Amino acid sequence: MPFTDKPQVFGASINALTVGAEGREIVLGGSNVLPLYSFDAPIPNAPRVGVEVSDRGYDKTVPGLAEFYAGCETVPEQAKKACTMEGCDFIVLTLDSADPNAENTSVEDCVELVKAVYDAIDKPLAVIGSKNIEKDADLFVKVADAMRGKNILCLSCREENYKQVGAGVVLAAGCLVGGESAVDINLAKQLNVLLSQLGIPSTSVVMNLGSAAAGYGFEYLASTIERVKNAALTQNDQALQMPVVTIVGDDAWSVKETLLEESEEPEWGPREERGIQMEIETAAACIACGSDAVLLRHPVAVKTIADMIKELV
Amino acid sequence: MAKFITIGERIHVISPAIRKAMAERDPAPILKRAKEQLDAGADYLDLNIGPAEADGEELMPWAVQLLQKEFDNVPIALDTANQKAIVAGISVYNRAKGKPIVNSADAGDRITNIDLAADNDAIVLALCSAAGVPGDNDERMNYCQQLLERGMEMGMESEDMWFDPLFLVINGMQDKAMDILEFIHMLSDMGLNSTGGLSNVSNGMPKDVRPIMDSAMIAMSMQAGLTSAILNPCDRRMMETIKSCDVIKNNILYFDSYLDM
Repeated sequence: MPFTDKPQVFGASINALTVGAEGREIVLGGSNVLPLYSFDAPIPNAPRVGVEVSDRGYDKTVPGLAEFYAGCETVPEQAKKACTMEGCDFIVLTLDSADPNAENTSVEDCVELVKAVYDAIDKPLAVIGSKNIEKDADLFVKVADAMRGKNILCLSCREENYKQVGAGVVLAAGCLVGGESAVDINLAKQLNVLLSQLGIPSTSVVMNLGSAAAGYGFEYLASTIERVKNAALTQNDQALQMPVVTIVGDDAWSVKETLLEESEEPEWGPREERGIQMEIETAAACIACGSDAVLLRHPVAVKTIADMIKELV
Repeated sequence: MAKFITIGERIHVISPAIRKAMAERDPAPILKRAKEQLDAGADYLDLNIGPAEADGEELMPWAVQLLQKEFDNVPIALDTANQKAIVAGISVYNRAKGKPIVNSADAGDRITNIDLAADNDAIVLALCSAAGVPGDNDERMNYCQQLLERGMEMGMESEDMWFDPLFLVINGMQDKAMDILEFIHMLSDMGLNSTGGLSNVSNGMPKDVRPIMDSAMIAMSMQAGLTSAILNPCDRRMMETIKSCDVIKNNILYFDSYLDM
């Protein structure tokens, strides 16, 4: 019997969302087929790779980064260098030190750093907060205010602070916001609905559905991303048609398999190799499930994932 | 499974205000009723102009354009015995939000409304009856088969035929209610879409009882597989029941504010 090709193209699509401005835009989402199913219909915007740099500088615990960032003393210099990673689409600045339980860097200092990083790089910028709910509410609003017209992406608001963050970042400053839900599909939908009830257009919102490293509860994350994409496409659920951004590097470099030195586990081989593999495997699986962007740390992982996307889309 | 489809029934010539507005081509009362129903969550609007023997061919296109222009091409069920009026309405109908519905065909005199729907790429409501109320489900199924065959002959997709089991009034025909539910189940097993005038169920009951009876009937009908209904969307209890049933049936993904959507 001859094979009859029946493309599975949905009457619904993921929102296309532009990050960045001033000639350095990228577009996330826009597809009306299952993730990577470019054989069913052209995928207008391939998944994107963001490179994470902390306000404490690059992650010193990740082997290989010291060599890559050699000679870059300041955070803006490192962010500029990160732009040269092959496959890097955008820069993600993590404001770790703003956490009141850590260095408690002031909001004003954070804003200055964000401005300096933005000026140093030639790619779109996303900002991850301190993960402290109260601090982030203030932080994101002031950062976005200073970045008016730059269309930066603030990751992320939560159920507890979506009002301040959503209103300040999107309605007041015209930037973009991520809604964060910890691997909970119903909460993800609820948060999107709450944001829309504030009057925030769905085309200014991405979803941060949580993160996990392969082998560490990853199946929950994978199934959450998959179910979100299925509801968005098969049920035309407009409260779930936002692009998905997944933070991969943080978890991938924080598990036993990537932390233990070769001296402790000789049969596991070099730690850098293991970490790169963990980042690649986790990111590849996220993209296969439906992530529209993954955030990574190691240049080899960034290049590999970018090459994979290029081959498949 | 797709979300349950609600067809708002409140633009009906039997209402004195609507009859007057249609006769005088006065948009305000019609738009008001349409807005109330859409705000309450109706997917389709039923547009009943009555027999409209004299001016249906002008009235239907006027009303279709009035509603679609004001409400972003809202999809409409064109409800009249005047076939020329339906054709005239479809000729100006914008399909951006959904195909027009021809309301309605039956297995008797009105079977040619299937041809009309087929010729105009419309959905047709197909009443599983010919004249009067069918005696039992064998009879209903017989009519259903006749209607389905006619549609297939005319080249329709079966998904564009929404079969109506004919909901019966409980206060008077109580003993038939379970038959109707069983028939919906049979339609569902055949993979067919279904619909029906739900408000008929509680006809003649006290006003405060009707929403409760209608809600119970819609819940049991959705369990049996009903895929849409013609109803009063301004009945909040019933709309909340439908949304809850859609969640239970996994037609929409649960979230805390699901009743607000």
